[in-house]
Amino acid sequence: MNVLLVEDEARIADFVRAGLKQQGFVVDYCDNGNDGSDRALENEYDAIVLDIMVPGKDGLAILKSLRRQGRNVPVILLTARNELDDRLEGLNLGADDYIAKPFFVEELVARIHAVVRRSTGDRQNLIAIGPLKLDRITREVTCNRQVVELTSREFNLLEYLMRSPGRVFTRTQILEHVWGYDFNPQTNVVDVCIQRIRKKIDSIGGGASDLESVRGVGYRFRQPTHS
Amino acid sequence: MRLRSFRLRIALLSAGLAGSALIGFGVISWKLIYDAKVSRLDASLESQLKRAARPRFDRWQSAESDLSRELGVSPDTPIALLVIDANGNRLYQSENWTLNGNLTFPPAPEPLSGSSLPKPFPAQRFDRPPPELPAATRYTTQGAWRVGAVRFPHVQFAIAVNLDSIDQEMTVIRSVFLFSIPAVLLLVAGGAWSLSGNALRPVRQLTTTMQSVTIQGLAQRVPSDAIDLEFAELIAVFNQMLERLERSFKQASRFSGDAAHELKTPLTILQGELEQALQQAETGSATQQRLGHLLDEVRRLSSIVRKLLLLSLADAGHMSLSKAEVNVSVILTEMVDDLELLAPHLHVQTEIAAQLRVWGDRDLLIQVLQNLVSNAIKYNLPNGWIRIQAHQQARTALITISNASQPIPERDHSLIFDRFYRSDPAHTRRVEGAGLGLSLAREIARAHGGDLTLAPASPAQTAFTLSLPVVEA
Repeated sequence: MNVLLVEDEARIADFVRAGLKQQGFVVDYCDNGNDGSDRALENEYDAIVLDIMVPGKDGLAILKSLRRQGRNVPVILLTARNELDDRLEGLNLGADDYIAKPFFVEELVARIHAVVRRSTGDRQNLIAIGPLKLDRITREVTCNRQVVELTSREFNLLEYLMRSPGRVFTRTQILEHVWGYDFNPQTNVVDVCIQRIRKKIDSIGGGASDLESVRGVGYRFRQPTHS
Repeated sequence: MRLRSFRLRIALLSAGLAGSALIGFGVISWKLIYDAKVSRLDASLESQLKRAARPRFDRWQSAESDLSRELGVSPDTPIALLVIDANGNRLYQSENWTLNGNLTFPPAPEPLSGSSLPKPFPAQRFDRPPPELPAATRYTTQGAWRVGAVRFPHVQFAIAVNLDSIDQEMTVIRSVFLFSIPAVLLLVAGGAWSLSGNALRPVRQLTTTMQSVTIQGLAQRVPSDAIDLEFAELIAVFNQMLERLERSFKQASRFSGDAAHELKTPLTILQGELEQALQQAETGSATQQRLGHLLDEVRRLSSIVRKLLLLSLADAGHMSLSKAEVNVSVILTEMVDDLELLAPHLHVQTEIAAQLRVWGDRDLLIQVLQNLVSNAIKYNLPNGWIRIQAHQQARTALITISNASQPIPERDHSLIFDRFYRSDPAHTRRVEGAGLGLSLAREIARAHGGDLTLAPASPAQTAFTLSLPVVEA
């Protein structure tokens, strides 16, 4: 998948490119709005990641000229300034999604996948790792073709881990993503929830061992040894 | 006590001023009229006394009855007459003469110069009358009398006129004053009231415009062309003030935007690289644990930056909401479900009305409710309770989240919404949170046209009430 990244801050660009390449993306990168605009118009990308505040033509201007020329390539905005205003303006101008700094590359990858799927009309929303299959649309999880009954939070947690197998998530990260709490309310809710999911999967026939705890940090879904 | 209404003050002041002027004028003119009447009576008396010099020894009675006509007073005014001859014998005395004790006759006039010889009685009859006839007011049991007396060589003569008639006339004048002065005062007060209302109309216009300025933002200016000259300067000054405010607000909000950008860029780098390092570290190693902790701290830092930015936007009145219909009941029910996991040790009670819909920014409202619920968990007592109530009252959705707690001291109630405020310093170590949450929650509630309030102190519980306008059905 080809992705254009327009981001003026070299060190942000570095880890974003590294993260995207690791996920198998081909990343084209430029550090100012004018070059970014030219490349976006000249080439066909599967998705464009635009920082709003870049020297030269800013992200919103690039987005506007793309849409004016009838280019429907999915665009994700990176915003640092005024989240609320940028969100409104960006979405009004036809951005497909926005993500506020600071963000996790993993989250950006998930968003890119989501907007690309949406733009190509891909109904494939299955994540299958080992015996576990997770359908994002029907929100159904099966293990060896048997349905695992999960609550909404449990499903979200499992999906969060399964969409980036091998990646370690801290408890705080999981709490933020699944429950939306942006603080640590002194709770072991994440551990309790993980245990419940494991129990439910085990009761059906195993595979819960893929849900690994990482000592002193958090959890991860074990990367399949062969794909 | 000072009257708060400017119009009322103006009206009362004008009425007071006009009233004292009128009363003063009335008193003086009343006095002048009285004096004028008395001196007219004196003049008549004088002429009568002069004429009395003619002998009418047998006609005193009829002369007395003519007097009232000749004096020009009303016929029923009592008049009394006294005539004494040169030897002190009373030639005539009216029946109603009561002034005996205190009557003094002026001395007899000097004879004409050049005729020093004593003249026989008849020759003196047409003698010149005395040059002065001082009239005086005497008081008897029958009232006040105006008495004129004259002494001729052969006769002493006095006329007394009762002052009742003048007093009656003065009473009429006084009642005219008593009626007309209050009427004029009422007119003056009414006029001043309506005039001051007229004068205040530009001020009211100004107030309306200023209200729209605060509602629509500082870019508004008060138009100065359609307003009276006297207010033009006020408007100019107000507009200048608005301009300065607008400039400093723009500066402040640009500053917060820039500051957020400046802070978020290094935070993004820090977080990205820590994350990368965390993934690359050996699983379960001490380094990985340390990196995990650092990552959590970066998340906390960025959450504080985000809240500060939102607060500064709210301060500048720029908190833009992407509003949609939000079903608060559903959100609350979900949160209650979470509570079972988040805080299994707490007893949860709920009274949530179904289908409470408000018009608002879903993400921000969830943030407010989460903040309240997490506070209720954080500041709870061991094995305490949480109560979540939501219902509609008139056009307002009221969401009350209460919990068992240490009492919040009364003096801290007004401070609890302050930024970085903590009720009890001892709490700081036990619970996390930057002390921005409640302040931000209240700003968000207010940006939605609602409010967030803390219930008055009660011994063992804390209760916050969030009020939001509901969606009209």
